[in-house]
Amino acid sequence: MIPRRPLLATPFAALAAPAFGQADNRPSITIAVQKISNTNTLEPLREQSNVGERIFFSSMWEALIGRDWLGNLAPQPGLATTWRRISDSVVELSLRPGVRFHNGDEMTAEDVVFSFGRERMFGATLATAQGRTIPIGEGMPTPRPGKELPPEVPAVARRAWPALERVEAVDRMTVRFHNATPDVTLEGRLSRAGSNIVSKRGYEEANTWLEWARRPVTTGPYKVAEFRADQSLTLVAHDEYWGGRPPLKQIRFVEVPEVASRINGLLSGDYHFACDIPPDQIPNIERNRAFEVQGGTILNHRITVFDKNFPVLRNPLVRRAFTHAIDRQAIVDALWAGRTVVPKGLQWDFYGEMLIQDWSVPRFDQAEARRLLREANYRGEPIPYRLLNNYYTNQNATAQVLVEMWRSVGLNVQIEMKENWSQILERSPTRAVRDWSNSAAFNDPVSSLVNQHGPNGQQQQVGEWTNEEMNRLSVELETSVDRARRRVVFRRLLEITEREDPAYTVLHQNATFTAKRKDIRWKASPAFAMDFRPGNYGN
Amino acid sequence: MLRFLTGRLLRAALTIAMVVTFAFIVLRLSGDPAQIIMGADAPPEAVEAFRAAWGLDAPLWQQYLRYFGAILHGDLGRSMRDGRDAITLVAERIPATLALTIPALVIKLSIGIPAGILAALHRNSLLDRLVMALAVAGFTVPSFVLGLLLVLVFAVQLGWLPSGGQESWRHAILPIITMGVGGAAVLARFTRSAMLEVLGQSYIRTASAKGVPWRDVVWGHALPNAAIPTVTIVGFMVGSLIAGAVVVESVFSWPGVGRLLVVAVGNRDLAVVQCILLLVAGTMVASNLVVDLLYGVLDPRLRAGKMGAQ
Repeated sequence: MIPRRPLLATPFAALAAPAFGQADNRPSITIAVQKISNTNTLEPLREQSNVGERIFFSSMWEALIGRDWLGNLAPQPGLATTWRRISDSVVELSLRPGVRFHNGDEMTAEDVVFSFGRERMFGATLATAQGRTIPIGEGMPTPRPGKELPPEVPAVARRAWPALERVEAVDRMTVRFHNATPDVTLEGRLSRAGSNIVSKRGYEEANTWLEWARRPVTTGPYKVAEFRADQSLTLVAHDEYWGGRPPLKQIRFVEVPEVASRINGLLSGDYHFACDIPPDQIPNIERNRAFEVQGGTILNHRITVFDKNFPVLRNPLVRRAFTHAIDRQAIVDALWAGRTVVPKGLQWDFYGEMLIQDWSVPRFDQAEARRLLREANYRGEPIPYRLLNNYYTNQNATAQVLVEMWRSVGLNVQIEMKENWSQILERSPTRAVRDWSNSAAFNDPVSSLVNQHGPNGQQQQVGEWTNEEMNRLSVELETSVDRARRRVVFRRLLEITEREDPAYTVLHQNATFTAKRKDIRWKASPAFAMDFRPGNYGN
Repeated sequence: MLRFLTGRLLRAALTIAMVVTFAFIVLRLSGDPAQIIMGADAPPEAVEAFRAAWGLDAPLWQQYLRYFGAILHGDLGRSMRDGRDAITLVAERIPATLALTIPALVIKLSIGIPAGILAALHRNSLLDRLVMALAVAGFTVPSFVLGLLLVLVFAVQLGWLPSGGQESWRHAILPIITMGVGGAAVLARFTRSAMLEVLGQSYIRTASAKGVPWRDVVWGHALPNAAIPTVTIVGFMVGSLIAGAVVVESVFSWPGVGRLLVVAVGNRDLAVVQCILLLVAGTMVASNLVVDLLYGVLDPRLRAGKMGAQ
């Protein structure tokens, strides 16, 4: 016997459906990426990586001062609408009204204070003056399941905010950031990854730090629906987003480690986007007229780093010869099909008034390189070059080209393949030349040149290079509020690190490429970040 | 029998201890997990904090003793990258891997053994040459090449099947075929060789000369005697069920134990690697034990030998 009630109910239900709720016709997309998160968390203070930037910004995490993701990445109003200087060490910000977290709460000054507090960010670390090693406080929590911060989180937070003393809630929608020292880069630091706002209630309601870090409650246009570590991340639209209704119902990032598999998945229609496409694959994809590859330069420069403790490299003339022997444009043309550029040293256009416009990388001059080697009395001693297997795009090919360029001026550079960063950085008599890339976390040279090559930077901390004048000027660049003087100091720092006593030499700006169906209207950001906010998606 | 089993179990324990020690030494001497997990751009103080928190700043021998002691107490440790128990992480991935390896094993057995027998029974015929040509092709083509070829044909060109992932049973078809084809080829070659050797024995000739029907000769005399080398190979295949899909899981983005192993080794996430190795070693040892016991079942001479020795 057929039950009558369901039969009778069905037509009524079908008729009634539109009255109770509108169908969500927004598209859902799948994006194939090489890696979703190196640390298996979605917390920018733990996941300090390019792959993390892709999923964090601007879909999930937002800061008080945002970035022009589709423009030149310059700071722009974000969760704060305006800001002003109270003094050289204090900034006051007015919060954007009507911002809703993913849990429905309205963002207030209380959430901002919590976001920059010890419980979420700094742990037991202390604010300190720049130029000194950051102290780790006593009693650092052990990383057992619970709400204690993993120890690297406060360390990273203090690197981003070395001298932040406290954040004050002036009223419900106004906050003040108090720094221990004068700092003209406070606004820049507010726009950097890691300075993002979390829901205090969302954090407190999570049972463990890991639980929260895999499903953070933030303000972005998409919220976490499911995160399967090493597999996939599903984001769904946050319809109360302050910037308007998100254009996508769902974004699904899937981890596809093999580039061939990502491309095949795109071509077969399994994925709408395929990320991390090597330049040599671009013509193959675009041969199919239904697809295109977008992307280009990002805020990251590929560099070659020197260890000046290696006997031959103690003489700066030899390192200078290295820098003059490289035909950078040839590398860009041959290996990148001209899709990237040779930048003006370790700086970026978004530095604004701090950009040294007339600066350039050392010119390609083989005669000068040979002269320097003669003057240094270099006699062809072998110089090891520690190399990872294509950690960076085109890394192996670039290394082989570099070795031949160096050989042609008389430098005897020998590649040593290494498996990981630990082996690359290992202190031993064979450490001489290696690859690296440098980013700028915000629009000031403090974020790059000082942060990576200054007294607290990795290169000096691992003992590869140091320079007394560089260290003194780094502190001045961090603390000076005289903008004209800061430009002079920055120029001098470039002279030291790129010309006089080379710590590194810039090869080219890095680039990233994303393949997609041509009928999808979407613009790539000049960064790893993928922007799916209102206005940047359609088909 | 008890002595036999005890001896086997002691050897198995020794094997597992050696595997654990070897993995510890190789992984710890080839890179610092803190620097690897934190990445190239991590601030030095963050790397140091990580190192201190996980005891990586202690001398290596202390770390080894601590780790080995924990294993003896049943504690396989926590993932440095993930923060969760290694055993939980691995256990989460096992069903996905078994969803590929068990059907692939069925394909290997159901195609490889009959094909090998058929080729041996029709030695030097067109059928034999065809089966062996296919077996050589299946044996020599690397699984990542075969996998990509299958994707190109069935996903990109024909659009019949998905190219990767784990959303539905359809996603498992290509990886299972990729794994099954190679294994079937190996089994076909071994089975054919074993059958040919047995078919050339005097007792087969005698049975035929006595007028025993050929079908009975094959089923009653040839197959049981040819089964021993085949069982050995099948034992290895069963033993590699847990982590035998490393390459295929990478090509098809299949989130199983193999991919977890690749990521864990890359990150020097010792607890996870050790957990997988222990599981693999345990499976392999158990599988070998079963194979040893099966020898006795298949070959009456081995049973008689053991009884005689007793």
